[in-house]
Amino acid sequence: MTARPRRVLLPALLTATALALAACGSGGAGGGSADAGPPRPGGTLRVAVGSDAGCVDPQQVGSNDTIYSVRQFVDSLTDQDPRTGDLKPWLATAWETAPDAKSYTFTLREGVTFSDGTPLDANAVKANFDRVPQLGARGTLPKGYLAGYAGTTVESPTRFTVSFAQPNVQFLQGTSTHSLGILSPASAAKSDDERCAGVVGSGPFTLRSYAQNASITLAKRPGYAWGSSLFAHEGEAYLDTVEFRIVPESGVRSGSLQSGEVDVIGSIGQQDEAPLTGAGAQLLARSNPGITFGIGFNVSKPVAGDQAVRQALSLALNRQEIVSAVFPSQTLPATSVLASTTPSYADQSAALAFDPERAKSILDAAGWVPGPDGVRAKAGQPLTLPISFANVAATNKPTLELIQQQAKVVGIDVQVQEYPISQTPGIQSSGDFSSFWFNITRADPDILRSSFSVAGANFYRVPETPLEPLLVGQAAEADPAERTELVGQAQRELIDQAFFVPVTELTTVLGVGASTHGVTFDASSRIQLHDAWKSDAA
Amino acid sequence: MIGYLARRTATAVAVLWAAYTVTFLVLYLLPGDPVTTMASGGLDGEPLDPAAIEALKARYGLDQPLIVQYGHRLGEVVRGDLGTSIQNGQDVRGAILDALPPTLQVALAGLVFAVLFGGGLALAATATRLRWLRQALMALPSLAVSLPVFWVGLMLVQVFAFGLHWLPSTGANGPAALVLPAITLGLPMGALIAQVLAKSMDTALHEAYVGTARAKGVGEGAIHLRHALRNAAIPALTVLGYVAGNLLAGTVVVETVFTRPGLGRLTVQAVGVQDIPLVQGIVIVASLVFVGVNLLVDLIYPVLDPRIAKGVPAAA
Amino acid sequence: MTELLIREQVGTVALPVPPTRRERGVALWRFLLRRPGLVVACVLVVLVLIAAFAPTVLASGDPNAGIVADKLRAPSAAHPFGTDYLGRDVYTRVVHGASLSLQATVIAVAVALVAGGLIGLLAGFVGRWVDEVLMRIVDVLLSIPAILLSLALITALGYGTVKVAIAVGVASVASFARVMRAETLRIRRSTYVEAARSVGTRWYVSLWRHVLPNAAGPVLVLAVLEFGLAILAISSLSFLGYGAPPPASEWGSLIAEGRNYLATSWWLCALPGLTIAATVLSVNRISRALDGEWSRAR
Repeated sequence: MTARPRRVLLPALLTATALALAACGSGGAGGGSADAGPPRPGGTLRVAVGSDAGCVDPQQVGSNDTIYSVRQFVDSLTDQDPRTGDLKPWLATAWETAPDAKSYTFTLREGVTFSDGTPLDANAVKANFDRVPQLGARGTLPKGYLAGYAGTTVESPTRFTVSFAQPNVQFLQGTSTHSLGILSPASAAKSDDERCAGVVGSGPFTLRSYAQNASITLAKRPGYAWGSSLFAHEGEAYLDTVEFRIVPESGVRSGSLQSGEVDVIGSIGQQDEAPLTGAGAQLLARSNPGITFGIGFNVSKPVAGDQAVRQALSLALNRQEIVSAVFPSQTLPATSVLASTTPSYADQSAALAFDPERAKSILDAAGWVPGPDGVRAKAGQPLTLPISFANVAATNKPTLELIQQQAKVVGIDVQVQEYPISQTPGIQSSGDFSSFWFNITRADPDILRSSFSVAGANFYRVPETPLEPLLVGQAAEADPAERTELVGQAQRELIDQAFFVPVTELTTVLGVGASTHGVTFDASSRIQLHDAWKSDAA
Repeated sequence: MIGYLARRTATAVAVLWAAYTVTFLVLYLLPGDPVTTMASGGLDGEPLDPAAIEALKARYGLDQPLIVQYGHRLGEVVRGDLGTSIQNGQDVRGAILDALPPTLQVALAGLVFAVLFGGGLALAATATRLRWLRQALMALPSLAVSLPVFWVGLMLVQVFAFGLHWLPSTGANGPAALVLPAITLGLPMGALIAQVLAKSMDTALHEAYVGTARAKGVGEGAIHLRHALRNAAIPALTVLGYVAGNLLAGTVVVETVFTRPGLGRLTVQAVGVQDIPLVQGIVIVASLVFVGVNLLVDLIYPVLDPRIAKGVPAAA
Repeated sequence: MTELLIREQVGTVALPVPPTRRERGVALWRFLLRRPGLVVACVLVVLVLIAAFAPTVLASGDPNAGIVADKLRAPSAAHPFGTDYLGRDVYTRVVHGASLSLQATVIAVAVALVAGGLIGLLAGFVGRWVDEVLMRIVDVLLSIPAILLSLALITALGYGTVKVAIAVGVASVASFARVMRAETLRIRRSTYVEAARSVGTRWYVSLWRHVLPNAAGPVLVLAVLEFGLAILAISSLSFLGYGAPPPASEWGSLIAEGRNYLATSWWLCALPGLTIAATVLSVNRISRALDGEWSRAR
């Protein structure tokens, strides 16, 4: 071997450059056009979602990606019509509300069984509801729906009455959600963690396997005959199996849909829309009702507790720019704390304007003086606001980076802190955050009370303000018009106090392959797969 | 021979023990109170009052002096109990065993690619008479180890999965999904094997017996493959332990890039929530693999080259 | 006798004449001319160093401010590396990211050099059981794959550029310890050190005057090589998400962000990756040149 030096660099650089340049690819082959025809049974639906909440107990899951799967193996007492918001029969064929709104009597349909063979009767429902108040931090949603729960009286196997200590108007809508999906009594009795590993329900699918952070597999429930009155067909589901894969990167999900590796993807980024439609995929979109995407503050912390800071941040945000930069095309900027599809939504866009000059003067008046690097400070403390977030939606991180940019202009130093979605309950209940990027989907304005009432879990540590009686009042108000009025006032008060700075609405956009049909949205913009079928099913 | 085996095995066990000790020190001694770290990852997310923290400390034995904890946990590890993950209370050993099969799949596929690529490259480089070709071929290993592994994987995905649609970009379904991860994983190790093998091939080809074989009229191909390679492969085996350990480590990046389930992804999640017992368990398993493969190589060596067991210097 | 006289009278025996400055310069020039790869490598490394210490010289914009309307533009005259999903110029972000990545690399190599060097020095100098113990520890460090050791450290320390750097540095201690120990042993056993010792030179004087200067050569070559390896390790860890939080433009994070746009905007992944590859290649090339190419060529 001679001592001649090897010429590595030039050929190496050239090869690497060639490799990189060859890697220009746009999508291309999509699924072939499928002649729809009548729905056929059979086949496997592959869904790619971005995250795993770490739990498959529907009553303990709040994250959309996981709700898509857990919704399929439990049934609810009622169903909510996505177009009108009215409640329709599902497991319950009829229900009566007492005049004082403190008790609700349900009539169950007969012949319903769980997938382990045990009957779904009034006692089973009672077992579920009695267990809810004992759930831990993951069970905030059902605990909120059953606020003031006083017990369930079983009159017959198909008739029972649920009672509350005070009027609980939002309970009925809660019975249509996955959070009050009915589990078998044996499942309900297990510990919180055991339930998270697997539960038994009565739904159109059963949970076949759960590999945390990897996949959730569902199998068709044979003999299913008690679907919601809103389902398009009666009887069993069409699909044999549904496989949910956890694929954290939105670009990879999008690429997988284009190449036909998966049939449905959730959480699409704006950059994925054009290539997906170009590849023959359909985009299904529905705005999520509930609390919009925005920043919630831990009001007990120093910087986050300063109302001037919160108000200034709200004025510094150019919501339209954020929407057009990051979000899929049908998204709207937030015009209130509630999304525009929520019942009793009231437009507050005047209070949510983009006015950086006013933001600066508010901060000046509060004593926050601009420092040499542009970041303001008061009495030695820099105006640093950490925002915690979980990277569940493809849009979260870019949005927060843009918010960082916009906040910098008025002198607020926003720091972005990421954490895994499974830690949300822990972080929220321990208060280990200054501010939090989130949204909550619920087709009922009572979500404001669950989130911001002092009497509730009160994650945001809000103090007693004029907001409280409004929140409590709307929960007890049986008259719809009166309730809407109270909810409107609550929204105004919330924005005034700036306990929550709304930014954009969440529009759920699903990418669906050309050979997949019948994927429907429910009233909470989650998917219902009972009517889904594949036109290339073997 | 028995003495040699016994010595090697004893060394292997000692190294394993030391690896455990080092990880224990790193994870339990460094700044960051392990209780708070573990507690905030908490099992049920309830707000933690002092009593609950005390209970957690007692449960994990963190209120005892460090030496006691160390001894206690060492005893558990020896018996095969690697502790419980703080994320979900699941048994660490069980979690690792569940995650192992897909990782082994991709690691073996990577090894096969590494051997084929490295071996093929070294053989081609030593066989050719063209100087420029040899230089170009031997430039490839240096190039391969200079490229970031995750970037290579992403470029492969872009070209072959999203661009040409030849291969899948994610998942663990079927052999097609193994190809790109195997290439990404095996590339740096293949480069190493190529370099080592090329060097030892050169040495072997200059040995006296090769000259004799040529004089006897044996063809070049047979000389390279049957005589030189056999002897050159032995030094190349010494890197096998290093290769095995690094393949396992490489799966951390590869499984993330290709969204495959397995030990690598488990590691990333564990680090993300600061799940100390799980991370420790994974490091121990990796050391076990490294030490185990090295031991295996040490045991096979005397079989391949009888001079070693007898104490004769290997290189003539 | 006569021979001695004749020899002395012949005068200047063929003593080697040290080359003049000019001759050395010409030799260097010729050396470089035959190695265009090395020249390119040096230029690149100089550029990267400028980017690390004075990024505004190479890219005057603000890496964290972008014009949203210009997002996801392909490389062009105005934006040589294109723009990202918030309209920020990728070239500016890469240049400013160099300082973050290089800061981390310097810390990592420094940690490995100092810690490893001390261990190796101690082992080689003191010898006996200290040597045995320290080398066993080094062997153990080598038995744990580097990235897993770094991950274990990050689990304990937390995220951030400096912590990643320390984690990578600690994982590289072993190789420095080994080289330093080998050099120390070699020098300690050499004749002139023995002679010095026999005349009563104190051990610390010997350490300072003999061991360190002579061990420096191979250790520095290793340091340059480790520099390249550290860049790769640090960018891998920041790709996995353990580096600085957004909007920091560490090279690994840039590629991780660009991953979401792989199908449509290839420049977000490809170009930062090429930068890393080119830097590491150049560093390796320089390391090889230092490793005796110069002395071999003369």
